[in-house]
Amino acid sequence: MHAVVCVKQVPEQNSVKINSDTTIDASGITPIINLFDEYAIEEALQWAEKNDGKVTVISLGPDDATDSLKKALAMGANEAILINDDSLGQVGAQGAAKVVAAAIQKLGDVNIVFCGKQSTDDETGQFGPALARFLGWPQLTYVFKVHELTDSQIVVDRALEDTLETVEASLPVVITAVKDLNEPRYPSLLKIRKVSKQPIPTWTLSDLGLSADSLGGTINIAKRTPPPPRPSGEILSGDVQTQVKELVQKLIESQIL
Amino acid sequence: MIDWTANYGFFLNEQHDMLRKTVRDFAEKEVAPYIREWDRAGAHETGVAEHMLPIIKRMGELGFLGVCIPQRYGGAGFDYLALAVVCEELERVDTALRVVLSVHTGLNSLAVFQWGTEEQKQKFLKPQATGEKIAAYCLTEPNAGTDVAGMQSTAVREGDHYVLNGEKTWISLSDLADHFLVVAYTDKSKRQRGMTAFLVERTMDGVSTSPIHGKLGVRAGNTGSVVFNNVRVPVANRLGEEGEGFKIAMTALDNGRYTVASGATGLIQASLEASLRYAKERETFGKPIADHQLVKRMISHMVLNLETARMLCYRAGWLKNQGIRNTRETTLAKWHATVESFNAANDAIQIHGAYGFSDEYPVERYLRNSRGAIIYEGTRELQELLQADFALEDRVSKPLRCELPAYDEDFWNAE
Ligand SMILES: Cc1cc2nc3c(=O)[nH]c(=O)nc-3n(C[C@H](O)[C@H](O)[C@H](O)COP(=O)(O)OP(=O)(O)OC[C@H]3O[C@@H](n4cnc5c(N)ncnc54)[C@H](O)[C@@H]3O)c2cc1C
Repeated sequence: MHAVVCVKQVPEQNSVKINSDTTIDASGITPIINLFDEYAIEEALQWAEKNDGKVTVISLGPDDATDSLKKALAMGANEAILINDDSLGQVGAQGAAKVVAAAIQKLGDVNIVFCGKQSTDDETGQFGPALARFLGWPQLTYVFKVHELTDSQIVVDRALEDTLETVEASLPVVITAVKDLNEPRYPSLLKIRKVSKQPIPTWTLSDLGLSADSLGGTINIAKRTPPPPRPSGEILSGDVQTQVKELVQKLIESQIL
Repeated sequence: MIDWTANYGFFLNEQHDMLRKTVRDFAEKEVAPYIREWDRAGAHETGVAEHMLPIIKRMGELGFLGVCIPQRYGGAGFDYLALAVVCEELERVDTALRVVLSVHTGLNSLAVFQWGTEEQKQKFLKPQATGEKIAAYCLTEPNAGTDVAGMQSTAVREGDHYVLNGEKTWISLSDLADHFLVVAYTDKSKRQRGMTAFLVERTMDGVSTSPIHGKLGVRAGNTGSVVFNNVRVPVANRLGEEGEGFKIAMTALDNGRYTVASGATGLIQASLEASLRYAKERETFGKPIADHQLVKRMISHMVLNLETARMLCYRAGWLKNQGIRNTRETTLAKWHATVESFNAANDAIQIHGAYGFSDEYPVERYLRNSRGAIIYEGTRELQELLQADFALEDRVSKPLRCELPAYDEDFWNAE
């Protein structure tokens, strides 16, 4: 079994500050592995261990995305590949999926891809499904339990809005992981010491036989505004009896009761 | 938030950074959510801080307890600077965690690594590096702390055993440890040269322990007394030669104090981080208290002391890596970092006003926890005397029969 995990490096959410002109202040940002991708890594590692398989992590991102790849290697992944190209700066989810699909095809022997269900920065949730489409593989999204995974088939539970679904599929397949699929492990100290010496190859678009204009439209953020501030609370006055009456009245008016 | 650990590239490398993130992640996920409850329980409970056992085991599995021990002895094979990084990050969350590294790793395991025979390293160091066995360090007695020569414990040779008698007190992890590094007199007439060190096992007949209650700080941790009543200790469990006990105890402190200093640095950082958060949120007279100059002064002093403490620690760690004796540098780091960790926590309470006086915020715990480190592993006064004695050249560190080995990556990596 050769599993690929797609890892995106994103800003840690509480490290993001918005400048007064609503642009993002990049200075204080702490880069981390996208939350959902950590579950994807852990799941891939667990099944690769059971099946005597191999895990390759791939990230499309800037040079410092190797930090996230190194963490994944220290967790136990066998190999890592960074995809970076000057023309990928503004690439959207679809374009990114096309590039990563080409990388997976280049690897050749991959039979399962694990992704997070979405990234915590863009939150589009398009990457996994788009990747499956470019690969021409079935997709199992919102996976919260993997029951069985062999070289030929997989059985998973999917968490849909109002249903839980148990699905079987034949490999190759793309799955997207939800939170709490598992308990992601800590990097191993022994592996931390090894990975800083492990080379991480960088693949460019030309390595993948792609050109920038084949990646479809880019998405530009035209405007960014912080969410409206929450209205301030109201303190009721009077004795407890009146306050409670008034409170109940207000709750009914606002259709909470 | 500023990364206070950035820009130490002249001491630390990428591996140390990844290690730091891992330890921080662990402490924040697995300890921070429960620490207030454990600390509260420790104020009145009669137990022995049982909650620490699974945490210690976990730190063992993750490799923290043997972080700077060679892989052949079950360690993770990092250098001595990595030990400082682990201690900083643990005490940033709670002192009880760092105390484990101090006694188990700094005082006991590194002493076995420095002075032990190959058999002792296999038998004691290996299971300690992985956390399978827990280790403590027993020097202090009811009537002898700073004045080590005032100790009363004795070990009398009888054939291939020593018969050990005595009481040690204020021993961290007394009730949780499997192995005890114990110093006792084999010849009282020789004073310091008549002391010998032993590796005592809890399973030996005549070893009993009991916790101390009512502590000011480190309430989430276990501290207590260890009594040795006619304990028959095989000669094979003697660490070093007869008469080397005092030297072993003191060189162990060169490593223990290093962990205490690094931990105190982490506590200064925790005080600073809490103060920065609160000072930006709390408003008086129409502006955040961070805008008042007297509050700024408290913050700036925390920054100064954080960075100087950290640099003193890393210098000591760097010397250890080079295999250079570092008693002067380590005690300087320990003195500065511990005294300033108390001051930082004290100012952090001040910045929090009345809220800082309640355990709703962590800063009062930082203050209580910081206080002990100004007493243990050499009181503040002892560190002051040492610094003056070194400066006056009244004290020189003479070469030892066994020095702490310099860090050698190939040796540390070999299985
Ligand atoms: C939380 C905690 C954990 C501990 N863990 C351990 C442990 O794991 N193992 C262990 O062996 N011990 C441990 N200790 C004990 C600690 O190391 C001793 O308390 C310390 O060495 C001081 O000894 P003492 O308490 O007997 O004080 P004393 O030596 O009686 O000193 C009392 C006061 O006199 C001052 N003083 C003493 N001599 C001089 C001098 N010559 N000049 C100037 N001033 C002087 C001291 O600085 C101090 O202020 C622990 C203590 C605490 C509080």
